[in-house]
Amino acid sequence: MEPQKQNPVNRTDEHILVCLSSAPSNARIIRTAARMADAFHAQFTALFVETPDHAVASPENKQRLQDNRHLAEQLGAKFETVFGEDVPYQIAQFARIAGVTRIVLGRSAATRRRLPGRPPLTDQLIAYAPELDIHIIPDHDADTAYRPRRARQSQTADILQNIAKSAGILAAATALSIAFYHLNFTNANIIMVYILGVLLTAIATPHRIYSLVSSIASVFIFNYLFTIPRFTLTAYETGYPVTFVVMFLTAFITGTFASRYKEQARQSARIAHRTKILLDTDQMLAKAKGRDEILTATARQIVKLLGRNIVVFDTAAAGRPAPRLFPANDRADAPYDLEHEWPTVRWVLEHNHAAGATTDTLPDARYLYLALRVNERVYGAVGIEAENDPLDASEQSILLSILGECALALENEKNAREKEASVVLAEREQLRANLLRAISHDLRTPLTSISGNASNLLGNADRFDEETKRQLYTDIYTDSMWLINLVENLLSATRIEEGRMTLRTTAELLDDIVAETIQHIGRKAAGHKLTAVYEDAFLLVRADAQLIVQVLANLVDNAIKYTPKGSSIVVSTRRAGNMAEISVADDGPGIPDAEKQQIFEKFYCGENKIADNRRSLGLGLYLCRAIVEAHGGQISVADNAPQGTVFRFTLPVEEVTLHE
Amino acid sequence: MSKLTILVVEDDAPIRNLITTTLRAHEYRFITSVSGEGAVMEAASHNPDIILLDLGLPDIDGVEVIRRIRTWSNVPIIVISARSEDTDKIDALDAGADDYLTKPFSVEELLARLRVTQRRLALMQTGGAPQAVFVNGGLVIDYAAGCVTLNGEELHLTPLEYKLLCLLARNTGKVLTHKFITQSVWGTNWENDVASLRVFMATLRKKLESAPDSPQYIQTHIGIGYRMLKIE
Repeated sequence: MEPQKQNPVNRTDEHILVCLSSAPSNARIIRTAARMADAFHAQFTALFVETPDHAVASPENKQRLQDNRHLAEQLGAKFETVFGEDVPYQIAQFARIAGVTRIVLGRSAATRRRLPGRPPLTDQLIAYAPELDIHIIPDHDADTAYRPRRARQSQTADILQNIAKSAGILAAATALSIAFYHLNFTNANIIMVYILGVLLTAIATPHRIYSLVSSIASVFIFNYLFTIPRFTLTAYETGYPVTFVVMFLTAFITGTFASRYKEQARQSARIAHRTKILLDTDQMLAKAKGRDEILTATARQIVKLLGRNIVVFDTAAAGRPAPRLFPANDRADAPYDLEHEWPTVRWVLEHNHAAGATTDTLPDARYLYLALRVNERVYGAVGIEAENDPLDASEQSILLSILGECALALENEKNAREKEASVVLAEREQLRANLLRAISHDLRTPLTSISGNASNLLGNADRFDEETKRQLYTDIYTDSMWLINLVENLLSATRIEEGRMTLRTTAELLDDIVAETIQHIGRKAAGHKLTAVYEDAFLLVRADAQLIVQVLANLVDNAIKYTPKGSSIVVSTRRAGNMAEISVADDGPGIPDAEKQQIFEKFYCGENKIADNRRSLGLGLYLCRAIVEAHGGQISVADNAPQGTVFRFTLPVEEVTLHE
Repeated sequence: MSKLTILVVEDDAPIRNLITTTLRAHEYRFITSVSGEGAVMEAASHNPDIILLDLGLPDIDGVEVIRRIRTWSNVPIIVISARSEDTDKIDALDAGADDYLTKPFSVEELLARLRVTQRRLALMQTGGAPQAVFVNGGLVIDYAAGCVTLNGEELHLTPLEYKLLCLLARNTGKVLTHKFITQSVWGTNWENDVASLRVFMATLRKKLESAPDSPQYIQTHIGIGYRMLKIE
């Protein structure tokens, strides 16, 4: 059903086209064409030109066409349908657009004259596309007498109805003509009425035969009723034979054009419908984000197109995929027997080939399954309820286009995802490299100091006076505290970078967080004036207390580090709408505007203007931002008046209903 | 005060040395164990006054050690955990531990926890039977009369605040987790209860503490719970 094995090795530029028909001999032509395609390593396409006649073809003929199509696909052909009345023109057009180099035809088809007076198919094809190689295969032994036959039983009623319509229009024209005759209008008016009648017949009936018969009948009725002698089929006036011939030709040609025009309008409507569905699908797929939405959009489009129940299997997850049902007409309870259908689905997924109802493979299934694939990669399968009710060629052709679009969209989505993942991976690698560089550089300093001081104390303790020893102990203590703080930040940084930032948020009193931070920082702030100002003592925020304490500690720590001793630092909290704002303000030297942009960047550590200040890893503010943003808040920096810096961050306020 | 015996359960030698050196310097007696099974044995045979228990032990889970010891003993247990084991800490407190220390901890912190626990121990020893009146510094709770005074003045508490205060008072020196408190006060453990608890604690403390920045009676353990401190 689906075109398969399109990519044989060593494909040449040859492209072989075989025309499908419902003739029994078509199978032989398809086989020959397939052998040729194989020999040339050529691309192989089977084309079906759907003419207006196809709609009224008999079920046997439709079935034979399906079989032929199936055969062509099994032999490696890609199936295409075009619509049009002028078969050679359609073939030539398709051949030109698809880059076909050779066309294979059966001899009977090639030489049969479709209409008396028109050249045979080959001649017309040569006229339309002189550069094509045309291969004619003998097939007369098979069915020289074959003519595409219409469906009979269902058509009889239609034919009777059309005859009645034609006869009615003719009778009306005759009645009007008689009236004109009695009003002594000229014969020219009567002729015009009959031509109008034929034109109406052509519009009202589906086939040219009715307008042809109407034309002939009109001439005879005109002759019989209105030419002298009346009520005979003779005419005395010498000019009448010419009048009859002109009248017939005018009526017939008008009728033919009318019916052809009608047919073309119908076909354009169908082509427009098809184009619209495909365009809609394209747009929906372009809008769809992620695999699920793509599959949902596709399934909805197919349901809209076919009005049948659809089931989709997505192979993204490991193991047996779960079916997703899209019932037609929004019937929520489309019955679906997974156990019964699963073998077919599995076969389709494994073999990358259509199977199920209306095919030769596992036809027991109630649904027809098609693989969603791009070349050899299968993304899933789509099932269409088709038991006892096969899809027609145009439906299938649109369906395949939609599935193709869907598979491409899935592939694009997958590629985008992989690309994104690789970017993230590269960033992570970059971070790791940066961290290693920073760590190896910055950890050595305190570690050298700690180990050196400790070794001095171990080996030469008796040579130092109490004062020196005290200084050495203090240095060891300070450096290790610095390391502890660094490790805390590093741990949090890795947690964020690895996407393991799982917040354990609870409702916390902002007071408690500030108090905890001040207690934590306590000793370090000895040389600074650290105060807290609360606007609302019962302000609750939704936060991971430990992380927010870290944020606040980093901010206060920075304020202590980057301001001279004696500066004052104020931590204040207030409510702003549904957010709580926490600010840390100092009256130190401030931060230049140029640097304000960058301080939240990873590994940014400014110019160390303060002497004796240990280099920082540039992680603190980066972490603050990451943590605050993970809470749904924002962090910013501004100048404090009259001097200094204010860092502000927001957290969502927790509304509490007191529970007594 | 008589010399207390402290059981130190820690598998990491430098930390064990740090703790024992500190204990020796402050004249505590101590015994050590490097495993959970050993800790249970030592606790049973030596009957220590306080247990310092590391949660990350090589053999059995520290919380399991607490559960086993709690089957026969009320000895105060202070757990020591690394920062990443936040939930373990709460589990340990819920399993019956009295207090916790987070690595890296300072020597002062360790000593402060020991002092707090020591006072709790004294309280436990003197008040074997339920007392009718609770006295802690200036705070007096008359359980029978249902009235609370602070420095001789009566405090006007809502029923819920009173309930919370009594709960903390009865467990003076012990860190009570949010879960434990909400379970005891409301009988449920909903997210909203914890939020309510924060507010009631804040109002209670406002009535109780003269300087909210350095609380005297009720200590907040952020992310963990609350504790009533024993005032000498």
